[in-house]
Amino acid sequence: MTPVTNSIKSLFPIFSNHPALVYLDNAATSQKPKSVIQSVIDYYEKENANVHRGLYKLSSSATTRYEEVRNKVAKLIGASDPNSISFTKGTTESINVVAHGFLKKLLMAGDSVVISGMEHHANLIPWQQVCKEKKALLRIIPVDGDGNLDLSTLDSLLTTNTRLLAITHISNVLGTINPIEEIISCAHKKNIPVLIDAAQSAGHYPIDIKNLDADFLVFSAHKMFGPLGAGVLFSLEKYRNQIEPLNYGGGAIKNVEFDHTEFLEYPHNLEAGTPNISGVIGLGEAIDFIQSLDMKSSILYTNELMIYFKEKLNSLPFVKPFGNPVKSGSIVSFQVKNVHPHDVAGFLGNVNIAVRAGHHCAQPLLESLGVPSTVRVSFAIYNTKEDVDRTISALIDLKKFWS
Amino acid sequence: MSADLKKLYSSVIKAHNETPYHFEKPTTTLTIIKAYNPICGDRFDLYITSPITDYRLPLTLHFHGFGCAISKASTSVLIKSIEGKSLNDAMEIVDHFLRFINKELRDKELILPDEFLAFSGVHDFPERLECATLAWKEMKKYLESKNE
Repeated sequence: MTPVTNSIKSLFPIFSNHPALVYLDNAATSQKPKSVIQSVIDYYEKENANVHRGLYKLSSSATTRYEEVRNKVAKLIGASDPNSISFTKGTTESINVVAHGFLKKLLMAGDSVVISGMEHHANLIPWQQVCKEKKALLRIIPVDGDGNLDLSTLDSLLTTNTRLLAITHISNVLGTINPIEEIISCAHKKNIPVLIDAAQSAGHYPIDIKNLDADFLVFSAHKMFGPLGAGVLFSLEKYRNQIEPLNYGGGAIKNVEFDHTEFLEYPHNLEAGTPNISGVIGLGEAIDFIQSLDMKSSILYTNELMIYFKEKLNSLPFVKPFGNPVKSGSIVSFQVKNVHPHDVAGFLGNVNIAVRAGHHCAQPLLESLGVPSTVRVSFAIYNTKEDVDRTISALIDLKKFWS
Repeated sequence: MSADLKKLYSSVIKAHNETPYHFEKPTTTLTIIKAYNPICGDRFDLYITSPITDYRLPLTLHFHGFGCAISKASTSVLIKSIEGKSLNDAMEIVDHFLRFINKELRDKELILPDEFLAFSGVHDFPERLECATLAWKEMKKYLESKNE
Protein backbone atom coordinates (compact mmCIF):
# COMPACT_ATOMS: atom_id res chain seq x y z
CA MET A 1 0.00 0.00 0.00
CA THR A 2 1.21 3.47 -0.88
CA PRO A 3 1.16 6.00 1.94
CA VAL A 4 -0.33 9.37 1.06
CA THR A 5 2.46 11.70 -0.01
CA ASN A 6 2.88 14.63 -2.33
CA SER A 7 4.18 12.22 -4.96
CA ILE A 8 0.60 11.02 -5.49
CA LYS A 9 0.06 14.21 -7.46
CA SER A 10 2.56 12.96 -10.05
CA LEU A 11 0.24 10.02 -10.84
CA PHE A 12 -2.38 12.47 -12.19
CA PRO A 13 -1.44 13.82 -15.65
CA ILE A 14 -3.71 16.87 -15.31
CA PHE A 15 -1.17 18.36 -12.90
CA SER A 16 1.79 17.93 -15.25
CA ASN A 17 -0.27 19.61 -17.97
CA HIS A 18 -1.34 22.38 -15.57
CA PRO A 19 1.48 22.66 -13.03
CA ALA A 20 -0.04 25.74 -11.36
CA LEU A 21 -3.50 24.18 -10.96
CA VAL A 22 -4.96 23.98 -7.47
CA TYR A 23 -7.89 21.64 -7.97
CA LEU A 24 -10.43 21.94 -5.17
CA ASP A 25 -13.57 20.84 -7.02
CA ASN A 26 -13.32 17.15 -6.21
CA ALA A 27 -16.92 16.85 -5.07
CA ALA A 28 -17.94 17.69 -8.65
CA THR A 29 -15.53 15.26 -10.25
CA SER A 30 -12.16 13.88 -9.24
CA GLN A 31 -9.11 13.96 -11.47
CA LYS A 32 -8.09 10.67 -13.06
CA PRO A 33 -4.80 8.86 -12.51
CA LYS A 34 -2.69 7.89 -15.51
CA SER A 35 -3.52 4.21 -14.96
CA VAL A 36 -7.25 4.85 -15.39
CA ILE A 37 -6.79 7.01 -18.48
CA GLN A 38 -4.39 4.43 -19.94
CA SER A 39 -6.86 1.60 -19.33
CA VAL A 40 -9.48 3.42 -21.39
CA ILE A 41 -6.97 4.12 -24.18
CA ASP A 42 -5.72 0.53 -24.08
CA TYR A 43 -9.25 -0.77 -24.37
CA TYR A 44 -9.87 1.22 -27.56
CA GLU A 45 -6.41 0.61 -29.00
CA LYS A 46 -5.99 -3.05 -28.16
CA GLU A 47 -9.23 -4.61 -27.00
CA ASN A 48 -12.20 -2.84 -28.59
CA ALA A 49 -15.12 -5.16 -29.31
CA ASN A 50 -18.70 -5.36 -28.16
CA VAL A 51 -19.42 -7.48 -25.13
CA HIS A 52 -21.53 -10.65 -24.85
CA ARG A 53 -22.27 -13.16 -27.58
CA GLY A 54 -19.21 -12.38 -29.73
CA LEU A 55 -17.65 -15.64 -30.84
CA TYR A 56 -14.18 -14.26 -31.27
CA LYS A 57 -11.34 -13.59 -28.89
CA LEU A 58 -11.58 -9.78 -28.68
CA SER A 59 -15.24 -9.94 -27.80
CA SER A 60 -14.89 -12.67 -25.25
CA SER A 61 -11.97 -10.86 -23.63
CA ALA A 62 -13.96 -7.57 -23.57
CA THR A 63 -16.80 -9.50 -21.93
CA THR A 64 -14.46 -11.01 -19.37
CA ARG A 65 -12.89 -7.62 -18.57
CA TYR A 66 -16.35 -6.00 -18.27
CA GLU A 67 -17.75 -8.75 -16.06
CA GLU A 68 -14.60 -8.80 -13.90
CA VAL A 69 -15.38 -5.26 -12.84
CA ARG A 70 -18.61 -6.48 -11.24
CA ASN A 71 -16.38 -8.55 -8.98
CA LYS A 72 -14.15 -5.60 -8.21
CA VAL A 73 -17.08 -3.32 -7.41
CA ALA A 74 -18.69 -6.01 -5.25
CA LYS A 75 -15.44 -6.41 -3.31
CA LEU A 76 -15.04 -2.64 -2.92
CA ILE A 77 -18.37 -2.37 -1.13
CA GLY A 78 -18.21 -5.73 0.63
CA ALA A 79 -20.95 -7.42 -1.39
CA SER A 80 -20.60 -11.18 -1.71
CA ASP A 81 -22.39 -11.52 -5.04
CA PRO A 82 -21.01 -9.74 -8.14
CA ASN A 83 -24.45 -10.07 -9.69
CA SER A 84 -25.78 -7.60 -7.14
CA ILE A 85 -24.00 -4.92 -9.19
CA SER A 86 -25.73 -3.33 -12.16
CA PHE A 87 -23.81 -0.84 -14.30
CA THR A 88 -25.48 2.44 -15.12
CA LYS A 89 -24.47 5.83 -16.51
CA GLY A 90 -24.00 7.18 -13.00
CA THR A 91 -25.64 7.94 -9.68
CA THR A 92 -28.53 9.83 -11.26
CA GLU A 93 -29.47 6.97 -13.54
CA SER A 94 -29.13 4.45 -10.72
CA ILE A 95 -31.59 6.43 -8.59
CA ASN A 96 -33.99 6.80 -11.50
CA VAL A 97 -33.94 3.03 -12.04
CA VAL A 98 -35.01 2.47 -8.43
CA ALA A 99 -37.57 5.30 -8.52
CA HIS A 100 -39.25 4.28 -11.77
CA GLY A 101 -38.39 0.61 -12.06
CA PHE A 102 -39.00 -0.42 -8.46
CA LEU A 103 -40.79 2.17 -6.33
CA LYS A 104 -43.40 3.43 -8.77
CA LYS A 105 -45.41 0.24 -8.93
CA LEU A 106 -45.43 -0.11 -5.11
CA LEU A 107 -46.46 3.44 -4.43
CA MET A 108 -50.14 4.16 -3.80
CA ALA A 109 -51.92 7.44 -3.19
CA GLY A 110 -51.26 8.59 0.37
CA ASP A 111 -48.02 6.57 0.71
CA SER A 112 -44.79 8.36 1.42
CA VAL A 113 -41.12 8.44 0.51
CA VAL A 114 -38.68 9.90 3.03
CA ILE A 115 -35.53 11.78 2.06
CA SER A 116 -33.45 14.36 3.90
CA GLY A 117 -33.18 18.11 3.57
CA MET A 118 -29.59 17.86 2.36
CA GLU A 119 -30.10 15.75 -0.76
CA HIS A 120 -28.51 16.48 -4.10
CA HIS A 121 -31.20 17.13 -6.73
CA ALA A 122 -30.42 13.65 -8.12
CA ASN A 123 -31.69 12.10 -4.89
CA LEU A 124 -34.69 14.40 -4.70
CA ILE A 125 -36.28 15.02 -8.09
CA PRO A 126 -36.77 11.36 -9.12
CA TRP A 127 -38.68 10.67 -5.85
CA GLN A 128 -40.56 13.97 -6.07
CA GLN A 129 -41.76 13.22 -9.59
CA VAL A 130 -42.79 9.64 -8.83
CA CYS A 131 -44.64 10.85 -5.69
CA LYS A 132 -46.41 13.50 -7.73
CA GLU A 133 -47.51 10.98 -10.32
CA LYS A 134 -48.80 8.53 -7.72
CA LYS A 135 -50.24 11.19 -5.37
CA ALA A 136 -47.84 10.11 -2.65
CA LEU A 137 -46.04 12.35 -0.16
CA LEU A 138 -42.38 13.25 -0.12
CA ARG A 139 -41.38 13.75 3.49
CA ILE A 140 -38.18 15.42 4.60
CA ILE A 141 -35.83 14.77 7.52
CA PRO A 142 -34.89 18.31 8.58
CA VAL A 143 -31.32 19.62 8.77
CA ASP A 144 -30.22 21.73 11.75
CA GLY A 145 -28.14 24.92 11.61
CA ASP A 146 -24.86 23.00 11.94
CA GLY A 147 -25.71 20.82 8.95
CA ASN A 148 -26.64 17.68 10.92
CA LEU A 149 -29.81 15.70 10.31
CA ASP A 150 -32.44 16.16 13.00
CA LEU A 151 -32.97 12.46 13.63
CA SER A 152 -35.44 13.07 16.45
CA THR A 153 -38.04 13.38 13.66
CA LEU A 154 -37.12 10.09 11.96
CA ASP A 155 -39.39 7.80 13.95
CA SER A 156 -42.48 9.89 13.23
CA LEU A 157 -41.57 10.39 9.56
CA LEU A 158 -41.27 6.65 8.95
CA THR A 159 -44.81 5.27 9.01
CA THR A 160 -46.53 2.10 7.88
CA ASN A 161 -47.19 3.92 4.58
CA THR A 162 -43.53 4.75 3.93
CA ARG A 163 -42.37 2.77 0.92
CA LEU A 164 -38.73 3.89 0.77
CA LEU A 165 -36.12 6.00 2.55
CA ALA A 166 -33.42 7.55 0.34
CA ILE A 167 -30.52 9.37 1.92
CA THR A 168 -27.07 10.61 1.12
CA HIS A 169 -24.05 9.18 2.90
CA ILE A 170 -22.09 12.45 2.64
CA SER A 171 -23.56 15.87 1.86
CA ASN A 172 -22.08 17.35 -1.31
CA VAL A 173 -22.48 20.87 0.12
CA LEU A 174 -21.60 20.73 3.81
CA GLY A 175 -19.59 17.51 3.93
CA THR A 176 -21.82 16.06 6.67
CA ILE A 177 -21.24 12.33 7.11
CA ASN A 178 -24.65 10.98 8.03
CA PRO A 179 -25.07 8.13 10.55
CA ILE A 180 -26.50 5.86 7.86
CA GLU A 181 -26.13 2.68 9.95
CA GLU A 182 -28.46 4.12 12.56
CA ILE A 183 -30.88 5.44 9.93
CA ILE A 184 -30.99 2.13 8.06
CA SER A 185 -31.63 0.15 11.22
CA CYS A 186 -34.42 2.52 12.20
CA ALA A 187 -36.06 2.10 8.75
CA HIS A 188 -35.60 -1.67 8.77
CA LYS A 189 -37.41 -1.96 12.10
CA LYS A 190 -40.43 -0.80 10.12
CA ASN A 191 -39.58 -2.93 7.05
CA ILE A 192 -38.81 0.14 4.94
CA PRO A 193 -36.14 -0.34 2.26
CA VAL A 194 -33.29 2.19 2.17
CA LEU A 195 -31.33 3.63 -0.74
CA ILE A 196 -27.94 5.14 0.06
CA ASP A 197 -26.53 7.81 -2.25
CA ALA A 198 -22.83 7.08 -1.97
CA ALA A 199 -21.75 9.49 -4.74
CA GLN A 200 -19.45 11.39 -2.38
CA SER A 201 -18.27 8.45 -0.31
CA ALA A 202 -17.72 5.42 -2.56
CA GLY A 203 -14.05 4.74 -3.07
CA HIS A 204 -13.06 7.35 -0.48
CA TYR A 205 -14.69 5.96 2.68
CA PRO A 206 -15.06 2.33 3.70
CA ILE A 207 -18.44 0.85 2.80
CA ASP A 208 -19.32 -2.62 3.96
CA ILE A 209 -22.70 -3.42 2.56
CA LYS A 210 -23.11 -6.48 4.80
CA ASN A 211 -22.76 -4.47 8.01
CA LEU A 212 -24.57 -1.49 6.57
CA ASP A 213 -27.48 -3.61 5.39
CA ALA A 214 -28.55 -1.02 2.75
CA ASP A 215 -31.13 -2.29 0.25
CA PHE A 216 -29.83 -0.13 -2.59
CA LEU A 217 -26.54 1.74 -2.90
CA VAL A 218 -25.65 4.00 -5.81
CA PHE A 219 -22.55 5.84 -6.97
CA SER A 220 -20.60 7.16 -9.96
CA ALA A 221 -17.16 6.20 -11.22
CA HIS A 222 -16.08 9.74 -12.02
CA LYS A 223 -16.07 10.98 -8.43
CA MET A 224 -13.73 8.16 -7.39
CA PHE A 225 -10.92 8.61 -9.93
CA GLY A 226 -12.79 6.72 -12.65
CA PRO A 227 -14.11 7.80 -16.06
CA LEU A 228 -17.26 9.78 -16.74
CA GLY A 229 -20.43 8.00 -17.77
CA ALA A 230 -20.17 4.85 -15.67
CA GLY A 231 -21.98 4.20 -12.41
CA VAL A 232 -23.27 1.52 -10.12
CA LEU A 233 -26.54 0.30 -8.68
CA PHE A 234 -26.21 -2.27 -5.93
CA SER A 235 -29.45 -4.05 -5.04
CA LEU A 236 -30.13 -6.50 -2.28
CA GLU A 237 -31.06 -9.93 -3.62
CA LYS A 238 -34.65 -9.88 -2.39
CA TYR A 239 -35.51 -6.88 -4.57
CA ARG A 240 -33.72 -7.91 -7.73
CA ASN A 241 -36.62 -9.55 -9.52
CA GLN A 242 -38.80 -6.58 -8.63
CA ILE A 243 -36.76 -3.96 -10.52
CA GLU A 244 -37.89 -3.25 -14.03
CA PRO A 245 -35.57 -1.63 -16.57
CA LEU A 246 -35.75 2.00 -17.66
CA ASN A 247 -34.46 1.02 -21.08
CA TYR A 248 -35.58 -1.87 -23.21
CA GLY A 249 -33.53 -3.28 -26.06
CA GLY A 250 -30.85 -5.72 -27.08
CA GLY A 251 -28.50 -7.39 -24.66
CA ALA A 252 -31.06 -7.70 -21.88
CA ILE A 253 -33.12 -10.58 -23.23
CA LYS A 254 -33.39 -14.36 -23.23
CA ASN A 255 -35.91 -14.70 -26.01
CA VAL A 256 -37.90 -12.28 -28.16
CA GLU A 257 -41.08 -12.92 -30.10
CA PHE A 258 -43.32 -10.32 -31.72
CA ASP A 259 -45.78 -10.37 -28.87
CA HIS A 260 -43.56 -11.33 -25.96
CA THR A 261 -40.05 -10.91 -24.53
CA GLU A 262 -38.37 -13.00 -21.91
CA PHE A 263 -35.79 -10.93 -20.10
CA LEU A 264 -32.46 -11.85 -18.57
CA GLU A 265 -32.21 -11.66 -14.84
CA TYR A 266 -30.85 -8.76 -12.80
CA PRO A 267 -28.37 -7.13 -13.37
CA HIS A 268 -28.34 -7.87 -17.12
CA ASN A 269 -32.03 -7.01 -17.62
CA LEU A 270 -31.19 -3.41 -16.68
CA GLU A 271 -28.30 -3.09 -19.12
CA ALA A 272 -30.03 -3.00 -22.51
CA GLY A 273 -28.01 -1.61 -25.41
CA THR A 274 -24.24 -1.59 -25.73
CA PRO A 275 -22.92 -0.59 -22.32
CA ASN A 276 -20.14 1.89 -21.58
CA ILE A 277 -17.51 -0.84 -21.73
CA SER A 278 -14.45 1.41 -21.59
CA GLY A 279 -16.02 3.38 -18.74
CA VAL A 280 -16.63 0.21 -16.74
CA ILE A 281 -13.09 -1.02 -17.43
CA GLY A 282 -11.82 2.37 -16.28
CA LEU A 283 -13.93 2.02 -13.15
CA GLY A 284 -12.22 -1.31 -12.50
CA GLU A 285 -8.84 0.38 -12.89
CA ALA A 286 -9.94 3.17 -10.50
CA ILE A 287 -10.80 0.51 -7.92
CA ASP A 288 -7.33 -1.02 -8.38
CA PHE A 289 -5.87 2.46 -7.84
CA ILE A 290 -7.96 2.98 -4.68
CA GLN A 291 -6.89 -0.41 -3.37
CA SER A 292 -3.24 0.45 -3.94
CA LEU A 293 -3.70 3.22 -1.38
CA ASP A 294 -4.35 2.88 2.30
CA MET A 295 -7.90 4.23 2.62
CA LYS A 296 -7.49 5.02 6.32
CA SER A 297 -4.39 7.15 5.67
CA SER A 298 -6.15 8.86 2.75
CA ILE A 299 -9.08 9.81 4.97
CA LEU A 300 -6.76 11.07 7.71
CA TYR A 301 -4.82 13.07 5.15
CA THR A 302 -7.80 14.77 3.47
CA ASN A 303 -9.38 15.36 6.90
CA GLU A 304 -6.21 17.05 8.06
CA LEU A 305 -6.29 19.30 4.98
CA MET A 306 -9.96 20.10 5.60
CA ILE A 307 -9.30 21.01 9.25
CA TYR A 308 -6.22 23.07 8.31
CA PHE A 309 -8.34 24.92 5.71
CA LYS A 310 -11.23 25.48 8.13
CA GLU A 311 -8.90 26.86 10.80
CA LYS A 312 -7.33 29.28 8.35
CA LEU A 313 -10.75 30.19 6.97
CA ASN A 314 -12.11 30.88 10.43
CA SER A 315 -9.25 33.32 11.05
CA LEU A 316 -10.45 35.47 8.14
CA PRO A 317 -13.02 37.90 9.57
CA PHE A 318 -14.60 38.50 6.15
CA VAL A 319 -15.48 34.85 5.61
CA LYS A 320 -18.69 33.17 6.69
CA PRO A 321 -18.47 29.35 6.78
CA PHE A 322 -21.60 27.22 6.54
CA GLY A 323 -22.28 24.16 8.62
CA ASN A 324 -20.29 22.58 11.39
CA PRO A 325 -21.36 18.96 11.25
CA VAL A 326 -20.48 16.46 13.97
CA LYS A 327 -18.77 14.22 11.42
CA SER A 328 -17.49 15.78 8.26
CA GLY A 329 -15.93 14.69 4.99
CA SER A 330 -13.46 16.93 3.19
CA ILE A 331 -16.00 19.38 1.79
CA VAL A 332 -16.32 22.99 3.04
CA SER A 333 -18.88 25.64 2.05
CA PHE A 334 -18.45 29.34 2.77
CA GLN A 335 -19.16 32.86 1.61
CA VAL A 336 -16.99 35.96 1.47
CA LYS A 337 -18.99 38.80 2.99
CA ASN A 338 -20.27 41.28 0.42
CA VAL A 339 -18.78 39.37 -2.52
CA HIS A 340 -21.02 37.05 -4.49
CA PRO A 341 -19.82 33.41 -4.60
CA HIS A 342 -19.53 33.52 -8.41
CA ASP A 343 -17.24 36.52 -8.16
CA VAL A 344 -15.17 34.63 -5.57
CA ALA A 345 -14.93 31.55 -7.78
CA GLY A 346 -14.13 33.69 -10.83
CA PHE A 347 -11.39 35.50 -8.92
CA LEU A 348 -9.87 32.24 -7.66
CA GLY A 349 -10.18 30.74 -11.14
CA ASN A 350 -8.14 33.62 -12.47
CA VAL A 351 -5.24 32.51 -10.25
CA ASN A 352 -5.63 28.83 -11.18
CA ILE A 353 -7.61 27.77 -8.15
CA ALA A 354 -10.60 25.64 -9.15
CA VAL A 355 -13.52 25.81 -6.72
CA ARG A 356 -17.25 25.66 -7.30
CA ALA A 357 -19.82 28.33 -6.62
CA GLY A 358 -23.57 28.02 -6.84
CA HIS A 359 -26.30 25.94 -5.29
CA HIS A 360 -24.38 22.69 -5.88
CA CYS A 361 -27.57 20.97 -7.11
CA ALA A 362 -29.01 21.24 -3.61
CA GLN A 363 -31.29 24.27 -3.83
CA PRO A 364 -33.63 23.28 -0.94
CA LEU A 365 -30.65 22.87 1.41
CA LEU A 366 -29.28 26.28 0.46
CA GLU A 367 -32.73 27.74 0.92
CA SER A 368 -32.74 26.37 4.49
CA LEU A 369 -29.30 27.93 5.05
CA GLY A 370 -30.83 31.20 3.88
CA VAL A 371 -28.48 31.72 0.93
CA PRO A 372 -28.82 31.27 -2.84
CA SER A 373 -25.27 30.04 -3.27
CA THR A 374 -21.98 29.27 -1.56
CA VAL A 375 -18.37 28.75 -2.51
CA ARG A 376 -17.41 25.11 -2.09
CA VAL A 377 -13.95 23.67 -1.61
CA SER A 378 -13.53 19.89 -1.69
CA PHE A 379 -10.30 18.00 -1.16
CA ALA A 380 -8.82 14.80 -2.55
CA ILE A 381 -5.62 12.89 -1.87
CA TYR A 382 -3.54 14.89 -4.37
CA ASN A 383 -4.23 18.21 -2.63
CA THR A 384 -1.57 19.70 -0.39
CA LYS A 385 -1.17 22.23 2.42
CA GLU A 386 0.33 24.51 -0.19
CA ASP A 387 -3.01 24.38 -2.07
CA VAL A 388 -4.71 25.57 1.12
CA ASP A 389 -2.15 28.33 1.70
CA ARG A 390 -2.52 29.57 -1.88
CA THR A 391 -6.30 29.60 -1.57
CA ILE A 392 -6.24 31.50 1.71
CA SER A 393 -3.78 34.03 0.36
CA ALA A 394 -5.93 34.47 -2.79
CA LEU A 395 -8.97 35.09 -0.56
CA ILE A 396 -7.02 37.83 1.23
CA ASP A 397 -6.10 39.38 -2.15
CA LEU A 398 -9.74 39.13 -3.22
CA LYS A 399 -10.88 41.01 -0.15
CA LYS A 400 -8.38 43.79 -0.91
CA PHE A 401 -9.58 43.90 -4.52
CA TRP A 402 -13.19 44.31 -3.46
CA SER A 403 -12.73 46.82 -0.66
CA MET B 1 -3.71 40.98 -9.84
CA SER B 2 -4.24 40.34 -13.53
CA ALA B 3 -5.14 43.24 -15.79
CA ASP B 4 -7.96 41.12 -17.27
CA LEU B 5 -9.62 40.84 -13.91
CA LYS B 6 -9.31 44.55 -13.24
CA LYS B 7 -10.96 45.17 -16.60
CA LEU B 8 -13.70 42.66 -15.84
CA TYR B 9 -14.53 44.34 -12.57
CA SER B 10 -14.20 47.91 -13.84
CA SER B 11 -15.05 50.79 -11.53
CA VAL B 12 -18.40 51.20 -13.31
CA ILE B 13 -19.33 47.58 -12.61
CA LYS B 14 -18.16 47.78 -9.01
CA ALA B 15 -20.18 50.97 -8.50
CA HIS B 16 -23.35 49.49 -10.01
CA ASN B 17 -22.85 46.33 -7.93
CA GLU B 18 -22.50 48.31 -4.71
CA THR B 19 -25.27 50.80 -5.35
CA PRO B 20 -27.48 49.34 -8.03
CA TYR B 21 -29.98 51.58 -9.78
CA HIS B 22 -33.56 51.32 -8.49
CA PHE B 23 -32.75 48.15 -6.60
CA GLU B 24 -35.95 47.63 -4.66
CA LYS B 25 -39.18 45.71 -4.69
CA PRO B 26 -41.97 48.18 -5.44
CA THR B 27 -45.12 47.82 -3.34
CA THR B 28 -47.34 47.34 -6.37
CA THR B 29 -46.24 45.83 -9.63
CA LEU B 30 -47.96 45.29 -12.90
CA THR B 31 -45.46 42.98 -14.55
CA ILE B 32 -42.55 40.97 -13.22
CA ILE B 33 -39.98 39.84 -15.76
CA LYS B 34 -38.00 36.94 -14.38
CA ALA B 35 -34.32 36.87 -15.28
CA TYR B 36 -33.24 33.56 -13.75
CA ASN B 37 -30.24 31.45 -14.57
CA PRO B 38 -30.90 27.96 -13.19
CA ILE B 39 -27.34 26.87 -13.82
CA CYS B 40 -25.64 29.38 -11.55
CA GLY B 41 -28.63 30.41 -9.44
CA ASP B 42 -28.76 34.10 -10.39
CA ARG B 43 -32.30 35.39 -9.94
CA PHE B 44 -33.44 38.90 -10.71
CA ASP B 45 -37.01 40.16 -10.94
CA LEU B 46 -37.49 43.21 -13.15
CA TYR B 47 -40.55 45.21 -12.11
CA ILE B 48 -42.80 47.30 -14.30
CA THR B 49 -45.04 49.31 -12.00
CA SER B 50 -47.28 51.26 -14.36
CA PRO B 51 -48.83 50.48 -17.74
CA ILE B 52 -46.93 51.01 -20.96
CA THR B 53 -48.72 53.96 -22.58
CA ASP B 54 -48.14 55.33 -26.09
CA TYR B 55 -45.60 52.55 -26.57
CA ARG B 56 -43.42 54.11 -23.85
CA LEU B 57 -41.93 52.27 -20.90
CA PRO B 58 -42.80 53.76 -17.48
CA LEU B 59 -40.52 56.49 -16.16
CA THR B 60 -39.29 54.29 -13.37
CA LEU B 61 -38.41 50.63 -13.53
CA HIS B 62 -37.08 48.60 -10.61
CA PHE B 63 -35.31 45.34 -10.04
CA HIS B 64 -34.45 43.09 -7.15
CA GLY B 65 -32.81 39.73 -6.56
CA PHE B 66 -29.39 38.23 -6.29
CA GLY B 67 -26.52 37.38 -8.57
CA CYS B 68 -22.84 38.02 -9.10
CA ALA B 69 -21.39 41.49 -9.50
CA ILE B 70 -21.46 41.24 -13.29
CA SER B 71 -25.09 40.18 -13.52
CA LYS B 72 -26.22 42.67 -10.88
CA ALA B 73 -24.37 45.57 -12.51
CA SER B 74 -25.59 44.64 -15.97
CA THR B 75 -29.21 44.48 -14.76
CA SER B 76 -28.73 47.85 -13.07
CA VAL B 77 -27.39 49.40 -16.28
CA LEU B 78 -30.28 47.86 -18.23
CA ILE B 79 -32.91 49.39 -15.95
CA LYS B 80 -31.19 52.77 -15.98
CA SER B 81 -30.76 52.75 -19.77
CA ILE B 82 -34.31 51.97 -20.82
CA GLU B 83 -36.71 53.51 -18.33
CA GLY B 84 -39.01 56.12 -19.83
CA LYS B 85 -37.90 55.18 -23.36
CA SER B 86 -40.25 54.36 -26.20
CA LEU B 87 -40.55 50.64 -26.91
CA ASN B 88 -38.66 51.06 -30.16
CA ASP B 89 -35.82 52.98 -28.52
CA ALA B 90 -35.66 50.52 -25.67
CA MET B 91 -35.48 47.62 -28.12
CA GLU B 92 -32.72 49.34 -29.99
CA ILE B 93 -30.74 49.93 -26.79
CA VAL B 94 -31.16 46.33 -25.68
CA ASP B 95 -30.26 45.03 -29.10
CA HIS B 96 -27.21 47.29 -29.22
CA PHE B 97 -25.95 46.07 -25.85
CA LEU B 98 -26.48 42.39 -26.67
CA ARG B 99 -24.76 42.73 -30.04
CA PHE B 100 -21.88 44.55 -28.32
CA ILE B 101 -21.42 41.75 -25.78
CA ASN B 102 -21.66 39.15 -28.55
CA LYS B 103 -19.09 41.10 -30.60
CA GLU B 104 -21.54 41.60 -33.44
CA LEU B 105 -21.30 45.40 -33.77
CA ARG B 106 -19.93 47.00 -36.89
CA ASP B 107 -17.09 49.53 -36.36
CA LYS B 108 -19.29 52.58 -36.87
CA GLU B 109 -21.71 51.28 -34.23
CA LEU B 110 -18.97 51.11 -31.63
CA ILE B 111 -19.72 54.51 -30.15
CA LEU B 112 -21.20 53.30 -26.90
CA PRO B 113 -22.00 54.80 -23.53
CA ASP B 114 -19.31 54.22 -20.88
CA GLU B 115 -21.70 52.07 -18.93
CA PHE B 116 -21.84 49.64 -21.86
CA LEU B 117 -18.10 49.73 -22.51
CA ALA B 118 -17.52 48.80 -18.88
CA PHE B 119 -18.65 45.28 -19.80
CA SER B 120 -16.00 44.75 -22.48
CA GLY B 121 -14.01 42.75 -19.90
CA VAL B 122 -16.35 39.81 -20.30
CA HIS B 123 -14.94 39.29 -23.79
CA ASP B 124 -11.92 37.75 -22.05
CA PHE B 125 -14.12 35.61 -19.78
CA PRO B 126 -16.57 33.73 -22.00
CA GLU B 127 -17.95 31.91 -18.93
CA ARG B 128 -19.25 35.31 -17.72
CA LEU B 129 -21.14 36.25 -20.92
CA GLU B 130 -24.33 34.81 -19.46
CA CYS B 131 -23.93 37.01 -16.37
CA ALA B 132 -23.65 40.15 -18.49
CA THR B 133 -26.64 39.34 -20.69
CA LEU B 134 -29.12 37.52 -18.43
CA ALA B 135 -31.52 40.40 -17.73
CA TRP B 136 -31.04 41.94 -21.17
CA LYS B 137 -32.13 38.79 -22.95
CA GLU B 138 -35.27 38.49 -20.84
CA MET B 139 -36.05 42.18 -21.38
CA LYS B 140 -35.61 41.69 -25.11
CA LYS B 141 -38.18 38.89 -25.11
CA TYR B 142 -40.60 41.04 -23.13
CA LEU B 143 -40.21 44.10 -25.36
CA GLU B 144 -40.67 41.99 -28.46
CA SER B 145 -43.88 40.57 -27.05
CA LYS B 146 -45.18 44.09 -26.33
CA ASN B 147 -44.27 45.41 -29.73
CA GLU B 148 -46.12 42.80 -31.76
